[in-house]
Amino acid sequence: MELNAISIGFVVFTIFTLGGGIGVVTTRNLFQGTIWLMVSLFGVAGYFVLLSAPFLAAVQILVYIGAIAILITFAVMLTRSVTRIKTRYIRLVPSLLASLALFLILLLGVTMPIFGGVSPEHAPATVASTRDLGAALVDENGYVVPFLLASVLLTGAMIGAIFIARDDTA
Amino acid sequence: MVPLWMYLAVAAALFSLGVFGALSRRNAVAVLMSVELMLNAVNINLVAFWRYSETSTDLLLNGYAFTAFVLIVAAAEAAVGLAIIITVYRNRRSVIPEEAAALKG
Amino acid sequence: MFESPTIAEFVTQSNLASTLPGTLLVAWTLLLVLVDLFAGDEREHWTPLGACLGLGVSFVANLFVYAPAADQQTALYGMFIADAFTGFLNIVILVATLLAVLMSRDYLMRAGIHRGEYYILTLLSSAGAMFMVAANDLIVVFVALELLSIPLYILAAFRSIKNDGGELALKSEESGMKYFILGAFSSAFLVFGAALVYGASGTTNIPQILEVAPAVVDAASSATFYLVVGTALLIVGLGFKVAVVPFHMWTPDVYEGAPTPVTALMSVTAKIGGFAALLRILVTALSVLLLVDGGVAAWQTTISIIAALTLVLGNFVAISQRNLKRMLAYSSIAHAGYIMVALAAAGTAGSADSATQGALVYILAYMFTNLGAFAVVMTIERVDGGGGNIDDITGLARSRPLLAMAMTIFMLSLTGIPLTAGFVGKFMVFAAAVQAGLVGLAVIGVLTSVVSAFYYMRVVVNMYLRDSSGELLPALETVYVRWAINIALAGTLIFGIFYPLASNLVSMVSIA
Repeated sequence: MELNAISIGFVVFTIFTLGGGIGVVTTRNLFQGTIWLMVSLFGVAGYFVLLSAPFLAAVQILVYIGAIAILITFAVMLTRSVTRIKTRYIRLVPSLLASLALFLILLLGVTMPIFGGVSPEHAPATVASTRDLGAALVDENGYVVPFLLASVLLTGAMIGAIFIARDDTA
Repeated sequence: MVPLWMYLAVAAALFSLGVFGALSRRNAVAVLMSVELMLNAVNINLVAFWRYSETSTDLLLNGYAFTAFVLIVAAAEAAVGLAIIITVYRNRRSVIPEEAAALKG
Repeated sequence: MFESPTIAEFVTQSNLASTLPGTLLVAWTLLLVLVDLFAGDEREHWTPLGACLGLGVSFVANLFVYAPAADQQTALYGMFIADAFTGFLNIVILVATLLAVLMSRDYLMRAGIHRGEYYILTLLSSAGAMFMVAANDLIVVFVALELLSIPLYILAAFRSIKNDGGELALKSEESGMKYFILGAFSSAFLVFGAALVYGASGTTNIPQILEVAPAVVDAASSATFYLVVGTALLIVGLGFKVAVVPFHMWTPDVYEGAPTPVTALMSVTAKIGGFAALLRILVTALSVLLLVDGGVAAWQTTISIIAALTLVLGNFVAISQRNLKRMLAYSSIAHAGYIMVALAAAGTAGSADSATQGALVYILAYMFTNLGAFAVVMTIERVDGGGGNIDDITGLARSRPLLAMAMTIFMLSLTGIPLTAGFVGKFMVFAAAVQAGLVGLAVIGVLTSVVSAFYYMRVVVNMYLRDSSGELLPALETVYVRWAINIALAGTLIFGIFYPLASNLVSMVSIA
């Protein structure tokens, strides 16, 4: 891995992503946790830029940081007064062991290329564009069914969320 | 250029962090945040696999489109989940599943 | 870059007609949102009626689309597969939803929380299940699974709204929260597995995975590793959804706390969706490629172990349950185990078709019987959730002889006694297991069925042989619930007595 803008960016975004992730699962203050979550989500958006998917990076920032993380922040502030949001752990040791085992298994497969497996070092020079994605979602290449299902899913989720959170004493 | 396995290693680490958080946290909102980390690890994987595959140049957009659908689903899931969590809190002032004791273990 | 097709070309090329049962149901549901909005005080009649009509329309469309189609056809550029498997499971899902809707109106009126959103979410969830059984692509599997699950989270928490008397049912919202947390967690596993399979094979299309996979396995590189780990994570994710051991911990709490018609619905449609995806992914996409020497798929051992654990734990823990809904929850875990036996049998080359057919007949029998049993439990349950214990049905035979008789037949069918649908299902599953060389698993299945007789028969003994305290149980149910019980009873008996009927219905099914 030679030193250039992309590899420096990779290191920086890795620090953001994993640092934020560690912050989310270790901080005892839930409000700080949401800040760490945003840091981590931002790092992931950076990876999308490095991987030539700028559209997904924009969506990641708009939807994940702009909507989901803000929604979670609201939920944190609505469900506990900010001063006493201390969370506790349960099953600390078993969870640690289980996730560590999962990580080692995944890492083993991922690092296999270093010991002689085949893994692409270089990505193809040209990539499909946002325009291609837009066309594919509704056109011949055929993401029509998941597109339809996703729109119905959003409708259903909206009806359900409004219904359940509405405080009606009717 | 960064080799593919480095992205996959980061995604594996982020997914494991999410699993740890989801298993060990008591607060429902904290569990939801950990699940979001897991879904982000999935997205890193999908985009990286798509970018490094030979098919990324033609119109096989599977990984790219899959990422968009994961984002949509994550948004729907978060909206519904937080609505339920807020309702639970409103009715009993606690969002820790173990403290909600109407149902036994 | 793209030649835009005309609408007529699009309809014919993409074979849109084969998706009609699902798309019609979705369109009808969206209309129902408006109907519910304008129906005003009449909505307690119109919305459930509209829901039933929508299910009927979808049912008729399903008969037209699938009746002549013995051969399979893929639609919408391979995203959607319309074969006999899809057609059969669509019918099972539609009947299950109809029975649940019939039960629901009564339950919601009694609990004082009758809202039109209930039916809309129910139909959307069922539409998700219908797309899931037809999914031919991992993306569709994932999105359809979410369309199936997300409305169910809300439905499980449906009683967290204040009823007409201003009261809350705290168990229900807790059930919804637990179901949501476990559901979101398991979805993340599922989609991580799908991402790894995509990384290994370069495609998310199930038939294309089948084509590419042998080369991936031969290469013995890190791609092979992704394929194996990805498959394992897919099994974990779907295992949570269908509630098999060791991913079953959430089931009793969620089933007990959710409104009874919702429990009945989720114990059937969520399992159908999960098992359909497992069958399509494991049998279609990953059977040939993971075949090791002797023609057995590499995942067969894992699935067999899960099946055996599920059978043993589900049936033994059910014995100690006093609450009928919790007992039926463990019983549903056990029944997922029997369907897992069929799935394991499908891993042997040559017996994939017979095992799939066995699984489908089992699902059909389980649907009628389980919904019927939950409907009976609902009629004796009080609105506050009490009255659902095993002692509360003591003397039911004296106060409500017909209801007791129906419950007896459901319990016999769940045990697997001849002349009931449950027997036909178990027979086909065990026959497929023996044919596939899994004799040990079939023996475990038969032995645990004997164990299950213990707790199912205790219900019957309580109804008939033990004397009640003297007070007669009042008739709480309306004509709708009676119809639900009658339909479930008819299905259980017809498919049990005319036993070739079920196997004829599935004889064209083949997914391998």
